[in-house]
Amino acid sequence: MTATTVGASVKPAISPKPLGIFLAGAAVSVLLGVYAHEHTPVANKLPYDFIWSGTIQMKASLATIAVLLAVVQVLLAMRLYGKLKWPKTMPPWLGDAHRLTGTLAFVVTLPVAYQCLWSLGFQSGSTRVFIHSIVGCIFYGAFVTKVLAVRLHGLPDWTLPVVGGLVFAALVVLFLTSSLWFFTSSDAPNPAF
Amino acid sequence: MFKRIVTVIEVLALAGALFFVVMLFGNEGGGTLTPSAAVYDANCASCHGGDGGGGLGPQLAGVVEEKYPDIEDQIAFVEEGQGAMPGFSGSLSDDEIRQVVEYTRSLK
Repeated sequence: MTATTVGASVKPAISPKPLGIFLAGAAVSVLLGVYAHEHTPVANKLPYDFIWSGTIQMKASLATIAVLLAVVQVLLAMRLYGKLKWPKTMPPWLGDAHRLTGTLAFVVTLPVAYQCLWSLGFQSGSTRVFIHSIVGCIFYGAFVTKVLAVRLHGLPDWTLPVVGGLVFAALVVLFLTSSLWFFTSSDAPNPAF
Repeated sequence: MFKRIVTVIEVLALAGALFFVVMLFGNEGGGTLTPSAAVYDANCASCHGGDGGGGLGPQLAGVVEEKYPDIEDQIAFVEEGQGAMPGFSGSLSDDEIRQVVEYTRSLK
């Protein structure tokens, strides 16, 4: 490992904490990718019919809810970081609201991810599906990195915004390659709920 | 108070995530495919979805019987293909095509 001399002490060029959390996230992404690739898709429907008319309708709905919650979470984060000036006085519950929206967004993605991983597996039949499969794995790795970044102290200031941005970007790509396609494409099945 | 509620929800979310992982790996053994499902998975699922709910191609589950009341018409369609749907007469045997067609008609 390369090192930079600062005074008498030797400081590693790459701080181990950020590297550690990124590696942990990468490991989760790889693990999910391997599972999705190696697992035999069961091609079964899951019992979501009591609310939605089909599995794809369920996935499109929940992914849309997750993206909306994530947008709220990003807006709250921007206010927490002072990038937004409204409301003028920061309410004391803003940080907790940020945590809550993020947690709910994550929870909402779980049934979708379960159906994708267990029933469909990793697929590369088209560019859209391939990107969706890859980014789906990246999303959960990035999410693990984000949670670790929140919990660990002493990380560089850029860590949390960068990782949070990565999680949000991954979720938006997942939304664009699934829900938005489902709602707008003429190739998609009938989006009747 | 709100902070406490959020913490409880976070703990429940963590439990949900653990449940998610347990379900993924715990159900692994239940993923044995029947021969017809295996043919479907290998040739159809990437477009029509693993559950026949649709994807790049249209939904099959619950609609193919209505569209093709006569199974022979559906078999002919799968053999010959049309538009973006490729024909499978060159890659699947007659038995496999019949099996997979019957399988799609069983999806609800």
